[in-house]
Amino acid sequence: MTRTIKLDHICKIEGHASLTLSIDKGRLKRCELGATEGARYFEGIVRGRKYNEAHELTSRICGICSSAHVVCALHAIEDALGMKTSRQTEDLRVLLTLAERIRSHATHLYFLALPDYLGYESALAMAPKFKKELQQALRIMKTGNRLNALLAGRDLHPVSATVGGWLKLPRTEELRSMAKELKAVKKDAIATCRLFFSLEQPTMETESEFFSLKDRKGFAVLRGDFTSAQASFPKEQYLDFIREYHRPYSTANFVVKDEKRYMVGALARFNNNGEQLSPSARKMLRESGIALPSRNPFINNLCQAIEIVHCIDHAIDLCATITIKQEKPKKARVRAGRGVGCIEVPRGTLWHDYTLDEQGIIINANIITPTAQNLLSAQEDIRTFVSGHLDMKKDELIMAVEKLIRAYDPCFSCSAHFLEVKWE
Amino acid sequence: MSRAKNPGKPRQPKKLRVGIYGITGCAGCQLSIIFNEDDILDLLDLVDLQAFPFIKEVNADQHFDWVIVEGLVASEQDLATVKKLRRNAKYLVSLGACAATGCVPAYRQFTLKENYEHLLYRKQKRLKDVEPTPIDAHVKVDYYIPGCPPDKKEILGFFTAIARGIEPRGTDNPVCVECRKNGNACLLDQGKPCLGPITAGGCHAVCINGGLECWGCRGPTKDMNLNLMIDILRKKGFDDRFIRDRMRTFAGLKLPTLNRIFHGKG
Repeated sequence: MTRTIKLDHICKIEGHASLTLSIDKGRLKRCELGATEGARYFEGIVRGRKYNEAHELTSRICGICSSAHVVCALHAIEDALGMKTSRQTEDLRVLLTLAERIRSHATHLYFLALPDYLGYESALAMAPKFKKELQQALRIMKTGNRLNALLAGRDLHPVSATVGGWLKLPRTEELRSMAKELKAVKKDAIATCRLFFSLEQPTMETESEFFSLKDRKGFAVLRGDFTSAQASFPKEQYLDFIREYHRPYSTANFVVKDEKRYMVGALARFNNNGEQLSPSARKMLRESGIALPSRNPFINNLCQAIEIVHCIDHAIDLCATITIKQEKPKKARVRAGRGVGCIEVPRGTLWHDYTLDEQGIIINANIITPTAQNLLSAQEDIRTFVSGHLDMKKDELIMAVEKLIRAYDPCFSCSAHFLEVKWE
Repeated sequence: MSRAKNPGKPRQPKKLRVGIYGITGCAGCQLSIIFNEDDILDLLDLVDLQAFPFIKEVNADQHFDWVIVEGLVASEQDLATVKKLRRNAKYLVSLGACAATGCVPAYRQFTLKENYEHLLYRKQKRLKDVEPTPIDAHVKVDYYIPGCPPDKKEILGFFTAIARGIEPRGTDNPVCVECRKNGNACLLDQGKPCLGPITAGGCHAVCINGGLECWGCRGPTKDMNLNLMIDILRKKGFDDRFIRDRMRTFAGLKLPTLNRIFHGKG
């Protein structure tokens, strides 16, 4: 007899997704994870629009990582126009990316992931008993959002970042005072680590390869080559090593050269760049007992918790040292060309790729989000996990599988992607 | 928050049964509820939160007093969800620009088919597209909290009002009113294509405060002078294609007269 488990609306994730499992004679026959989000065709929408509108439009792909889409789009457009921005512009973009990661991780960990571990249906249901923990979550989120708003004008869908620089700059004193706020919230980040270390994590080993940017100068944020333990590629050549294919039940799936599936995100960053974490984050890593490289996708939650500490440290450093020079955005010299942006964002590596004509009009776009890249890895890990736990009761199995999906921190709002990429 | 035609006066029950749902969108509006970090726990205590699938596992889908919906109708599934929620709610609230105007995803209706048709054929088969449209193209909407994203304090004010049985109110003033109050230099005067004069306020001119011209995400004001706005932008040197595309980016479906004005140019 075939037993089918169908989860049509997976809750507590960003966007909409479904999972179908069919178990026949003690064997898992079918395992399909797919986005059920309505298609929005952002790559088509930006066609015909001007080079300096791409970031405003693609910001709307995702609320929680809108600053990431903006920074990545700006990098790609500036690359296409052959522009080099100032050190200050780059530093503030790094800071914006860190601010977003702080609030994104805190939101994911407490509102989406934690309730599973504590046996509650939601963070709200935890409130009577875990008020202290929720308040520390909200303090971290607030600090990340305040920094995001200081730099970009508001919490999400930033307004001040533009091609060539910033439409408005924060004042140096505001950055210094933000450094203090960040210092004050660091204890909450450390408490978050300890809370997550105390939770029992299921164990499993993924066969995916771990990819992230790698930058000799430090824990990669906006620069570096796309790297795993086995391989490393410069961003310009991504179409040569990332391939996408389609199945009828889902949106795009991605594999790297040699048809291997891969995982991006905090765990991949830790496996590749763990030794570049801040001293406090490394201390937390030791306290966690995680041995890197780790192949257990559930550990991604713990890495996110530790990464909040690292991002706070890095952000404190920038807020305490940047002295703002009043500078206008660099003027773009419009020309035809193609540019690629590739940065590390909360859920992994994000790619934007634009082609412009002589008038600076976008004639082609390709956007690959972390969730799109992780989809196949998550699905195959579910297959591995379920195959190893077929004796579990249905309810327990579903809960464990949902926990695994949430550990990937998928954002199905982002994942929809339909562009054809030719693969020779 | 603007009020639609005669939804009737909300009565004051003990604790309102509220549902918060998202259809196709970026989840940014739902996050904007949660990002009221100092107030969120008390806020959600004011009402009987029956559904919020973004952060809740257990969700009712009927017998609501109020349902708040983020997102636009982009698939048949969205359409079924919105119709069902409408049937099961006394009041339906449109949260954010996607729900109110279709926002950036609905701009697809105004782009050339060849811009996106290469993306169509690989779509998964079981998800059927519908024309990207705001919620009120399909069901009656009682209240709007506009904006991309909506102002998080406006959301807070809305919840507090309905929980107390007070009729929520928005503003019909254009963005310029708040912008001037903030002491911003006029971006139109500086030659930027700012749509503040024809766009509904309530956002505290957040974009102009941050140096960016208004793109019109909160939708047009009721008494806007669209022709004057277009004339001003033409005089500033913007061509018709740019003006038309910019105006259609966030609220094209709410500006049907643009078709006539630009005679399908471009």
